[in-house]
Amino acid sequence: MDPYETENPFEEDTDRVQSEASSAYRVNLSAPSSPPSQSSRIPSSPSLGSASRPAFPSSGSHRQPQAYKSDFCCTRDQWLHSGEEVEIVITDALKTSVNSSSTYITYVIKSGTAEAQHRYSEFESLRTSLARLYPTLIIPPIPSKQTIGDYAVKQAKAKEDAAMIARRKRMLQTFLNRIARHPILSNEHVFHRFLDGEVSWTEVLHSPPLSLLPTNILKAPSHNPTDQNASPGYTALPNPSATHALRRPDQRFLDSEVFTNKFAAHLSGPMEKVTRRTMKRWSDSSHDHAELGAALNGFSLNESGQLSSAIEKTGQAVDATYMSTTLLLQELEQNWAEPLHEYTQFATIIKKLLVYRHQKHVQYEMTQENLEAKREQLEELEKSEHAARRLEEALGRGRTSADSPRTEDGTPSSGDNSRADTGYLPPHPGPNPVRRRAPGMGFLSALSYTLHGMMDVDPATARRNAISKAREQISLLEDALHLSAQDLKYSSSTIQADLDRFQRQKVADIREMAISMAKSHRDWCKKNLEAWEEAKREVEKIPDHPNRMLEEIVEDSGGVANGSRESTSTIDGH
Amino acid sequence: MLGEDDDVFDSVTWESPSAPTYDAGPSAPTGPGFRQSTAESEPGHGPHDPKWEGYLITSVKDPVKELADTKDAYVSYLVSAKTNLPIFSTPNPSARRRFQDFVFLRNHLSKDFPACVVPPLPDKHRLEYVTGDRFSPEFMERRRADLHRFLQRLSRHPTLQRSTLLRAFFESTEWHVTMHQHVAHPPGPEHTTGVIDSISDTLLNAFSRVRKPDERFLAMREGVDKFEEGIVLTERLWSRIRNRTNDLTGDYHDMAVAVQGLGFLESGITDPLNHFSNTLLEFSALLRHTTQTTTDPFLIHLHSLLQYSHANRAVLKLRDQKQMDFEELSDYLSGVTSERDRLAAVISGHAGSTGLGLSSYLKDRVDALRGADDDRSRVEKMRKLDAKIKELQDAVQTAHETSDAFSDETLREQTVFQYAKEAEMKEMLGNLADGQMEFYKAAMDEWDRIIPIIQRIRVDV
Repeated sequence: MDPYETENPFEEDTDRVQSEASSAYRVNLSAPSSPPSQSSRIPSSPSLGSASRPAFPSSGSHRQPQAYKSDFCCTRDQWLHSGEEVEIVITDALKTSVNSSSTYITYVIKSGTAEAQHRYSEFESLRTSLARLYPTLIIPPIPSKQTIGDYAVKQAKAKEDAAMIARRKRMLQTFLNRIARHPILSNEHVFHRFLDGEVSWTEVLHSPPLSLLPTNILKAPSHNPTDQNASPGYTALPNPSATHALRRPDQRFLDSEVFTNKFAAHLSGPMEKVTRRTMKRWSDSSHDHAELGAALNGFSLNESGQLSSAIEKTGQAVDATYMSTTLLLQELEQNWAEPLHEYTQFATIIKKLLVYRHQKHVQYEMTQENLEAKREQLEELEKSEHAARRLEEALGRGRTSADSPRTEDGTPSSGDNSRADTGYLPPHPGPNPVRRRAPGMGFLSALSYTLHGMMDVDPATARRNAISKAREQISLLEDALHLSAQDLKYSSSTIQADLDRFQRQKVADIREMAISMAKSHRDWCKKNLEAWEEAKREVEKIPDHPNRMLEEIVEDSGGVANGSRESTSTIDGH
Repeated sequence: MLGEDDDVFDSVTWESPSAPTYDAGPSAPTGPGFRQSTAESEPGHGPHDPKWEGYLITSVKDPVKELADTKDAYVSYLVSAKTNLPIFSTPNPSARRRFQDFVFLRNHLSKDFPACVVPPLPDKHRLEYVTGDRFSPEFMERRRADLHRFLQRLSRHPTLQRSTLLRAFFESTEWHVTMHQHVAHPPGPEHTTGVIDSISDTLLNAFSRVRKPDERFLAMREGVDKFEEGIVLTERLWSRIRNRTNDLTGDYHDMAVAVQGLGFLESGITDPLNHFSNTLLEFSALLRHTTQTTTDPFLIHLHSLLQYSHANRAVLKLRDQKQMDFEELSDYLSGVTSERDRLAAVISGHAGSTGLGLSSYLKDRVDALRGADDDRSRVEKMRKLDAKIKELQDAVQTAHETSDAFSDETLREQTVFQYAKEAEMKEMLGNLADGQMEFYKAAMDEWDRIIPIIQRIRVDV
């Protein structure tokens, strides 16, 4: 069915988790059609749902899609998995007012031959949809909305702020490409349709699979929340809170959680803060350099000759620093600050993912607890039933003992034989024809029926009702437990696999960030160095001061021996 | 003396035509330039072109705390020079002097050479005196550099470099005696022009302006203004950049720490991230180093040059003063002369009243009313006026000569200052460029070094 299922010894585990009885119930309960609440959609789902979305549940190979994949769901799919390095590019951001009273920005997405236009809210919707379709995968982040503060400061301008749009353009493109490179997400036809742009996003939203998404994905199969044939056992699953403590937590995921928290704190704390501070400083510094460059240029105009051109060149070096710093700033923003922010967002996403898994785990434990409680209850009920039956039996025997009073003393101690003993007793017509499970039941009912006169009938009926209800619940819970175990297993392995993939991606990205930062700084140094070297050459051309050791002066000096004294004295005083 | 000079410089060929670049002289702070090497000997100096009789290369070194454990502790500096000026009795004079001696030197030079731009001394830095920090190595080094620049400026001045006081400053072994002698018998003529002083004091006030401004000096004044403006602006902007760079130093340090923290989290790439963190740290250190070794000295020099320019401006102002002296005296003289002429006209038959306007007429009337209209008093008055006119004419003559001489001197002084300014700007900008180049080169190497280390990280996505 799914690589994660085939990889993991699912079948072996179910044996461990489930009782023999539940496997039988599983067949019974999952065989009938889906719960009545969803039945109305069923006619449309098999044809549309399976045709439009063959990718997720059935496509076999996620690890190396291009190597295995032969059946493409559409041309976008084919393009994405063509085996070559494909890149989705957001070529433009256009201001339009199509289908809207106010203007908005649409982003032109080019993926191969296809071109689509989507606005920010549609990206947001795509991301939310994917997150719901794949609750166990790390869906890459999209750039966050502007803060209310931004709107307050810039008001109407905020929406058209060029820098913000450029930033969104870049980050949205990264988002799309991250999905395109994802071994599973890249196969999602919803994503392909987003790229194709042939149908409007509203249409995609209102057609399967997105229209089939349940309201609570915790109560749907982890591997495919839109599965219309999902077992009704899912409805029996509890809806635990995210903070519910686990009795037997998985150390691996505890570690993951601790690590993610640390990672998030470190990124959003020291890393992002210091980065923002540094960028602010560079930006100020570049402004200062621009000002200084202009000042030096003005300065040079007042001077003359070589000094003037030296100052001018120095000013140009400062100007060059301004230019290169602006460039450095841009590169730092794009290749350091933005990925850093993305990873801060990733950390939040992973936290949510771990919460999902945690909830799934809690579901499993709670179901288990419930089941145990129910079983205990049933045992309790059966015990009292048994006791009651024995009592009745005793009473009945008391009645028969009237015929044969010899055996009266032996029966209370040998209750085990009762079933065998009662087997041949004449059955009474059952007062409760619904229950026809055990052959002994009839007799039991008969006894109770006969006891009717001396005992109140209601406790017995209630007890029997309770027993049957408990059994029903147990069977449902057993089923739910099985499903929950399956889901937990699937979630754990899928999340773990995606975390591993994410970790590799992260290391690759950090590597790229560091390299690009180093290169940006190196280029910055190089440009400035060249500018200053040029300035230095010009400064060197300024004539030296006459007061210096020159050979001819050394030789001449004897001649002016006494004249100097006089020349000073003439200017002494006024 | 000459022989020694030859010994010292024999091995160096300053004038080798094939290598017109600056040669690292054995001990020359201002090495010979590669283009101006023959400029000095060129004829065709204008009347106001300064002429250097020889060279004087000075240095201030080795600050030492004297009388260390007493309350009279002070710092002495080794001042030394290399020179071929005939006024010096040795080509390598040297002495130890304290700050007070520099103060004395400056004060008396500016008194003796009012037309010369005597460079200013560094501030006394009262705060350091109060806190006792004036013996800290940083303070002593900074002051040493300031004093070095002061002496360098003096020695670059064609007139001041040959002053007896400066010679004594370098050579005298009995500096205190010299100081006393100098105070007792200042060189040059005494201030005997009492008439001018008394008259000009009564006539001049701070707000009076030169009536016939000299185009040359106006241009000069404007040039100085703009130069100072440029310096002030540059200083302000550059210190802002300096502060930003300082902040960046901290930022990169913090970033290094943050990256190191990331390295701790990412156990797989701890090592390369540590390297990267070190690079950030190194970059931060380089920024700080540049600030300390390039930007700060540059700013200090810039400020010092501004003060030097203030001294120059003061001389220009003084020249205006001299011109005003002359102009006011001339006015006064013409006033007195016309008064005498009027009196003479009155004496010779009251003919002048009509020609001399209403005010003179009124004056006559008033004089008549006071009963001072007898000819005797008029003649007496005229004699007095004649004497005054005579005196004034002399004074005007002197003032005129002074003003002209001062103007000439100022013109020459401006050229001298221009030379000094250019030389200092060259040194300043050159050092700045050197420092920047050193920084960028080192930083570039550092970033270049780290790139392959990061690239070695192996990841399969």
